[in-house]
Amino acid sequence: MKTNNSDNYTKWQKSFERETKIDLNEASSETDEGIEIKPVYTKADIENLSFVDNDSLPGQLPYTRGPKASMYTNRPWTIRQYAGFSTAEESNDFYKKNLKSGQKGLSVAFDLPTHRGYDSDDDLVMGDVGKAGVAIDTVEDMKILFNDIPLDQMSVSMTMNGAVLPVLSSFIVAGEEQNVNKNLLSGTIQNDILKEFMVRNTYIYPPDPSMKIVADIIEFTSKEMPKFNSISISGYHMQEAGADNVLELAYTLADGMEYVRAALSKGLDIDDFAPRLSFFFAIGTDFFMEIAKLRAARTLWYKIMKDFGAKNEKSMILRTHCQTSGVSLTEKDPYNNIIRTSYEALSAILGGTQSLHTNSFDEAIALPTDESARIARNTQLILQNETGVTNTVDPLAGSYFIESLTDELSKKAWEIIEEIESLGGMTKAVKAGVPKLKIEESATKKQAKVDSGSRVVVGVNKFKNPKEPKVDVRVIDNNKVRDDQIKKINDIKASRDQKAVDESLAKLVNAAKEDSNLLACSIDAIKKRATVGEVSKALEQVYGRHFATSLSVSGVYGKHFEGDEDFMNVTKKVNIFEEENGRRPRVLVVKMGQDGHDRGAKIVATSFADMGFDVDMGPLFQSPKDVAKDAIENDVHAIGVSTLAAGHKTLVPELMKSLKEIDPKSKIIVFVGGVIPEQDYDFLYKNNISAIFGPGSNIIESAEKVIDLISDKIHKNN
Amino acid sequence: MQLVEKIIKGERAAIAKAITLVESSRENDKKESRKLISELLNKPGKSIRVGFSGPPGVGKSTFIESFGRYLVEKNYKLGILAIDPSSQITGGSILGDKTRMIEISKNPNTFIRSTPSRGSLGGISIGTREASIILDAAGYDFIFIETVGVGQSEIMATNLVDIFSLIVGPGSGDELQGIKKGITEYADIFIVNKNDGDLKSEASKTASDYKSAISYYKKSNDTADKEVLLVSAIEQTGMEKVIETIKNIVSQNKKNKNFDERRAKQFNYWIEEEVREIIQFNIQKKIKADGSISKFSQKVMDGKIQMFEAIEAITKNLQSK
Repeated sequence: MKTNNSDNYTKWQKSFERETKIDLNEASSETDEGIEIKPVYTKADIENLSFVDNDSLPGQLPYTRGPKASMYTNRPWTIRQYAGFSTAEESNDFYKKNLKSGQKGLSVAFDLPTHRGYDSDDDLVMGDVGKAGVAIDTVEDMKILFNDIPLDQMSVSMTMNGAVLPVLSSFIVAGEEQNVNKNLLSGTIQNDILKEFMVRNTYIYPPDPSMKIVADIIEFTSKEMPKFNSISISGYHMQEAGADNVLELAYTLADGMEYVRAALSKGLDIDDFAPRLSFFFAIGTDFFMEIAKLRAARTLWYKIMKDFGAKNEKSMILRTHCQTSGVSLTEKDPYNNIIRTSYEALSAILGGTQSLHTNSFDEAIALPTDESARIARNTQLILQNETGVTNTVDPLAGSYFIESLTDELSKKAWEIIEEIESLGGMTKAVKAGVPKLKIEESATKKQAKVDSGSRVVVGVNKFKNPKEPKVDVRVIDNNKVRDDQIKKINDIKASRDQKAVDESLAKLVNAAKEDSNLLACSIDAIKKRATVGEVSKALEQVYGRHFATSLSVSGVYGKHFEGDEDFMNVTKKVNIFEEENGRRPRVLVVKMGQDGHDRGAKIVATSFADMGFDVDMGPLFQSPKDVAKDAIENDVHAIGVSTLAAGHKTLVPELMKSLKEIDPKSKIIVFVGGVIPEQDYDFLYKNNISAIFGPGSNIIESAEKVIDLISDKIHKNN
Repeated sequence: MQLVEKIIKGERAAIAKAITLVESSRENDKKESRKLISELLNKPGKSIRVGFSGPPGVGKSTFIESFGRYLVEKNYKLGILAIDPSSQITGGSILGDKTRMIEISKNPNTFIRSTPSRGSLGGISIGTREASIILDAAGYDFIFIETVGVGQSEIMATNLVDIFSLIVGPGSGDELQGIKKGITEYADIFIVNKNDGDLKSEASKTASDYKSAISYYKKSNDTADKEVLLVSAIEQTGMEKVIETIKNIVSQNKKNKNFDERRAKQFNYWIEEEVREIIQFNIQKKIKADGSISKFSQKVMDGKIQMFEAIEAITKNLQSK
């Protein structure tokens, strides 16, 4: 830490210590990232910084102050709201409404089966069709999605990573059939597979072929689609999964480096594709840290790209989309989420984002309604039109604190980047599972801070609302959506030229074997009306489907509760339970269906184990039948189902049925945690669910409830 | 006993409950467990019990998934007992084996049970032997016992299985010097995993290191030869050779009575262990009831008597009771 020796400073220190009765050396706080935050910053803190250049201006290297000289004074950031609802028709309606009310770009959310390359009629995806996004099975769905939306004028962002080939192909063919040539299409495809292996788990193939697909897309678009961003390198999902800002920043940039290398290996010139690389960061509630993160990201990317030998200025500039943090939203006292989102949005803007999505306040519970989506969009309209934040570029530049924090974050992130590089780059690190484990460790620490009360979350662990407001949420009839999609698939399969489809798929398989560019072949198959699932399965023949192995952290949660009364109380109950029953309470924690967000499940598993439970961890993407077999063979006392993608109404009753099928006398109790709207509680209780834990539930309290439920059940049976 | 019938019929829930019973630390359960096992021993199946061990990170579970898939595709019934370490501090555990056995755990021809080690030293948990007897009676063709870590656990595991195999990774040949003695003595098969991609040449080298290491081990003439095999769990190669080797060793050992001798020895060891446990349990009770240890230790602390005198006095006192 830099020290200031001026007389003024000494005088200030004395006053500070007199007022606070705390020694200045002990008055700092420490962030999740392990960065010391001092009560005051001075000029001394911004002298001789390692990464930040105090004399640089916006649009000048190292681009800390923004990618453009004029920034929002010329044109404000793009309001880009991410949305997708069940069917293409519904989503299309929603997009058109939004475009009328001031939104400038589109951002499509797909449902999980589409992400994982399954058609809606696949048995494996029974509970997932149309949940958390739009189902796309064929190019016909894609055409409906953009009906009356001119694709040569509208920039479209698509969150797609696993099934990138068929989905991007469908987009290109939909454009073509609207008479828009692909060289006029603008927008972004996420196409960031590395982070899927770390956190989001919507991959299809193993890491190496997945990286080949990324490189193919970069190659194809750099030649044929000059206005299209070939990749959106995303840290967002890392922060959502619990990564602190240094991890998010470092891993995202390290991912970026790996994609650059993959594209270079195709023989491309760096300046031919690098300008089309874009980024995507999460903006959480740590106000100044988030601002510093965006400034640090640009600073570091400049350095990275210069080291790669980029010559074109545009190759060295990091452009980013941002989204306010979903994980910061709470189910309790949900209107607070509007306020959280507003501050997060302001952070993103002061950090200099190019586009922004603001979350709707009800997203901790369900997909947004028209009303909550309007409030979310208005958050940005008010910032753009009422607050004056667009009048000055990078208004916080020169702040001792911000500049010092930017530099500090850069330094810490750079250390981690070097660590990943020393492992041989991100693909290798991902295969070894290192980043995933680090993120889970960080997530567990954060959860422990909230549960122990050392971090305040208003309305959750402090200042609780005695009268929780009732919120109306969007309801989706999953079975109807699925039936409609299946009918559409059948119609198309009946009317298409099957021979042409088979031939095009065979060509795709050959291309995969011969290692030639897959996107061109995939476009052809989609044009012939092959389905998203068929294209994905064709490649699966060559590459196989990837199953991730899963490591778990241990002891991280418990460490925060040494001597904590509630915690000790649960461990004591566990020990008594063991004495009485001859074994520890045993819980199987599972995810079912195609929902790969496993942060919650992992945190529950590690913290329950820290409290002395025996915890069975189920693999991802299990069917209810698999879960039942697993639970019964291991004779667990309870199953905890983690659900974040609205599949619970289909999958949980299936699980209860499967348990009874294997063991009609099964005494296993089932509890559910995650994103569950209150309207569904009755339904679940009627299906004999013993407990429901919404987002923000205190894990220690939950563990106690679970052990009590188990004990009750045992006593009742005796 | 109804439970016995259900187990023999292969009812999944009954098998699971029976394993819970034999793993239980409750005194009543232990008595019932002994009764159950006695009955099941009268109705033995035909299973071959294979132990798998190896250092962390060599892909034990991944190998078992891959080899297991190979076996169930050939219509064998496969039982797997996987032992995961319990935390020393909290006593809890995370049992994650099934995240690495995705395909076989779905298969109706498998029964997969994870068990926390509960601080038992050898990595073999209380009840593993009994659990394998239950699966045997239930008609499983193969029973795999997967243990944690290296060292003591292998030696314990050899008391439970017909064939013991050690899974190692490429490049582990260098560590061989240090662990050679115990392992070469106890393992029947050495499986060098990750014989794929960039690691292929390293894996071959490791295999020949092991081959030369086991040549030092002087075997008695009638036992089956130890084998070193190269496999790739992710590419599912070399699996045929593994099953062939297992079958060969079993038939050879059966021919020369080695198989039965080994089982007899294990039986002997088991009874000894049970007797020891009961005696130990009784002594523990006596010590608790007697309470003289703390009195004597205070006297030692105060310098009133010497430590060895105290030990002798306490022992004499307990034996007389």
